[in-house]
Amino acid sequence: MTDKTILTVDNLALSYGSNPILKGVSMQLRRGEVVSLLGPSGSGKTTLLRAVAGLEQPHQGSVTIAGRAIYDAAANVDIPAEKRELGLVFQSYALWPHKTVFDNVAYPLVLRKVAKAEIASRVQAALKNLGLAHLAERYPHQLSGGQQQRVSIARALVYNPPVILLDEPLSNLDAKMREEARAWLRNLIVEMQLSALVVTHDQSEAMAMSDRILLLNGGVIEQQGTPQEMYSSPKTHFVADFMGSNNTLPGRIAEIRGGEALVDIGNGLRLWGQRRSDAAVGQEVKAVARVEQVRLADGPGEHRTEIDLVTSMFLGDRFEYVLHAGENLLRAWGNRQEAAGKRWLEFPPDAVWVF
Amino acid sequence: MLQTLPRRAVVTLLALSVFFPLGLVIYQSVLSGPFFMKTASLSLESFAFIFDDPDFWMAAKNTIFIAVGMSLIAIPLGAILAFIMVRTDLPGRRWLETPILIPIFVSPVVIGFGYVVALGPVGFFSVWFESIFGSVPWNIYSLFAIVVIAGLTHVPHVYLYSSSALRNLGSDVEEAARLSGASPFRVARDVSIPMVSPALLYVGVLVFFLGFEIFGLPLILGDPEGHLVLTTYLYKLTNKLGTPSYHLMAAVATCIIAVTFPLVLLQRFLLKSAQRFVSVKGKSARQRPLALGGWKWLALALIALWLFLTVFVPVAGVALRSVVSSWGAGVNLLEVLTLDHFHAVFEESTMIRSIINSILIGTLGGAVAVGGYLLIGLATHRQPDGLSRFVDYVVLTPRAVPGLMAGLAVFWVFLFVPFLAPLRSTLFSVWFAYAVVWLAYGMRLIQSALMQVGPELEEAGRLVGASRSRVSRDITVPLIRNGLLGSWLLIFMIFEREYSTGVYLLSPGTEVIGAQIVSLWASGAVDVVAALSLINMLLVGVGLALALRFGVKLHD
Repeated sequence: MTDKTILTVDNLALSYGSNPILKGVSMQLRRGEVVSLLGPSGSGKTTLLRAVAGLEQPHQGSVTIAGRAIYDAAANVDIPAEKRELGLVFQSYALWPHKTVFDNVAYPLVLRKVAKAEIASRVQAALKNLGLAHLAERYPHQLSGGQQQRVSIARALVYNPPVILLDEPLSNLDAKMREEARAWLRNLIVEMQLSALVVTHDQSEAMAMSDRILLLNGGVIEQQGTPQEMYSSPKTHFVADFMGSNNTLPGRIAEIRGGEALVDIGNGLRLWGQRRSDAAVGQEVKAVARVEQVRLADGPGEHRTEIDLVTSMFLGDRFEYVLHAGENLLRAWGNRQEAAGKRWLEFPPDAVWVF
Repeated sequence: MLQTLPRRAVVTLLALSVFFPLGLVIYQSVLSGPFFMKTASLSLESFAFIFDDPDFWMAAKNTIFIAVGMSLIAIPLGAILAFIMVRTDLPGRRWLETPILIPIFVSPVVIGFGYVVALGPVGFFSVWFESIFGSVPWNIYSLFAIVVIAGLTHVPHVYLYSSSALRNLGSDVEEAARLSGASPFRVARDVSIPMVSPALLYVGVLVFFLGFEIFGLPLILGDPEGHLVLTTYLYKLTNKLGTPSYHLMAAVATCIIAVTFPLVLLQRFLLKSAQRFVSVKGKSARQRPLALGGWKWLALALIALWLFLTVFVPVAGVALRSVVSSWGAGVNLLEVLTLDHFHAVFEESTMIRSIINSILIGTLGGAVAVGGYLLIGLATHRQPDGLSRFVDYVVLTPRAVPGLMAGLAVFWVFLFVPFLAPLRSTLFSVWFAYAVVWLAYGMRLIQSALMQVGPELEEAGRLVGASRSRVSRDITVPLIRNGLLGSWLLIFMIFEREYSTGVYLLSPGTEVIGAQIVSLWASGAVDVVAALSLINMLLVGVGLALALRFGVKLHD
């Protein structure tokens, strides 16, 4: 642990009754860093965030913030949520409908017995920072979804918590606004040098917003790393599958040569790829290639396979081709409309992973 | 949400308030005499005595007959009423909802009295009917009449539960059945009815169990021909042996609880399984009403007839009786009109006190009760642990104890506990009994208000640094203000309506209208009873008008 570490979660476990949700999760968040908790629903990512916040009750492990233990099962430490000094932006924003925007943001300061004049100036500053200065006297129901989100962030930041937690911050915005809000939020976090832990189920959101991603699966961390590492060098099939759009071909290993393996898919289809597991010759494996890494080609060649192009779909910025290779349905992207018929598909060996 | 310490204090006080009186009843039932007598020893002779008494068995038989009979009348009628009101395009549905619920808020003793003066041997309607047709085909004092009246007046209970179940049912499940090829009749038979059957089963148990608790109707209608039920048998025991026969009363009470408590638990179980059944909520609840066509006249006639018999007849009877000096065959209504009964009421200090006390207990007492229920609600709010589950059962327990017996038990508590004794003849004892008797009802109101508050609103409060009690004060309670106002108005009406709970607590200074009517009825002061009954209904009416004015939902 370096002194830059602000949040440490160590071997945290949590169950609902006899149903384990977190099975020993460890992670660190460094000062000024954005870490995303990514995973499918039921993976425990929201539970982990809520356990850090003090809203869920773990039964094992520890959580430390800025060197202060806020939860430690062994030492019987469990600081209640209100004493953890964390900021949480709720998925639903959770603005108090009976308080104005000003009062919503002021409430944390009122609780901290800050002087009235100082409250007014700090709240105004926070609202101004988020472009909400003119809305101070409104009630939450008079605001748009995006404005409500900003108020929620202002409320979580106004008392300068060392770490800010965001639970699916963009999921309540409509698709169009989401991309803008993503950029805005990343900009805000970087500019204010916040340390943030973000829960999301959307891998592109996680990659865009964070310095590091923790991918959870079934209550354990499957893999963690920078967005580039997560996308380009997945350690397991689950990670490869979750982080991008793939062509997945089940087959058997026919030959192994160093770090590469030849996979026999059947129907005369054989691919070279990077070994990602210690499966031996003859064992069943999956060959996985990102959709954007495979290319249509006009003629036969090395690492090319003959396939049937069934149809082309126009997606706006590109075409997607639907292809048949034996019983497998494959996809590839390109810039031109292609007529149906026989084509060749190129699988570059360094873009094929064998799990 | 409350901190640990106040939470434990609230729960302890609650458990004491519920279990101490109840425990006292059970303890008293196994004594050979009243608990304050030195000679009383542990024995089962009180049970031996009542089991030996043919009146007890008659009362038990009548009780079961009434409970079964009224269920058979109330459940089909209530379900049909709910179907017509919720699923069809009956004209004027919105205006009919409130009148349908009126019987819930009128004191059964007032309703019983209304039937006597309207349909009794010399009742208004009987006399008019006789002068036209020559004779009256009904006998209001027969057991059969009691069953019919009890059945009709419990229709609103069935209506409440089945209508909310039908409302929760989205049209989409029915439309899916239609598209699969089912006729509207098949849809109702195969989809709609089975989907609300858990609610019907639940309300069936509820009505059956209310049948075990009814007191006012059989007290007034069963007396002339000597039809006893368990509660009236208990009431008559007061004077049976000359000396206070507390041990016998406790034995009867224990017998009633032995039946009602399992029914309460059964209800709770059914409610839980019913909730599992309700899969439909939110958007899909949009409904397309069934077109009644020519049948709407029949439906309207059915509702009108029921309203006439159940609301108009007794209410008009009471109203009319309170302004005539006497009534019988050949009497001209215009010649006997008088306000003397009201003068009589307002000239006697006991009567005035009973009215003032009733208003006090409804307004101030209602507010304090809602405050207490709120504290209990906050003690368990979003803290799903053992203590909360315990509170769940504690809250349910008083439901199994009819008001008459709860009042008796509270009376004993105030006799038994030395430091409480001075409070016995104050309004506090009555308020305490009322608050305990209506605990389950009040908690339902409070809990449904609390459930409206999104959990994340409270969690957000915790995160920014507010303690549990601070969150309750600054976020939860302000957010349910309207719910609290509504609960207060409903509790006001219920407290005005209440009559049996105050019967044993009646003493100079603790008079309330309901108990006063029961006591005056025994002395035959019909004129004053009529005037007090009307005043009682007016008080409830004021509460109802306010509730409607503020848009309070009369049901959840």
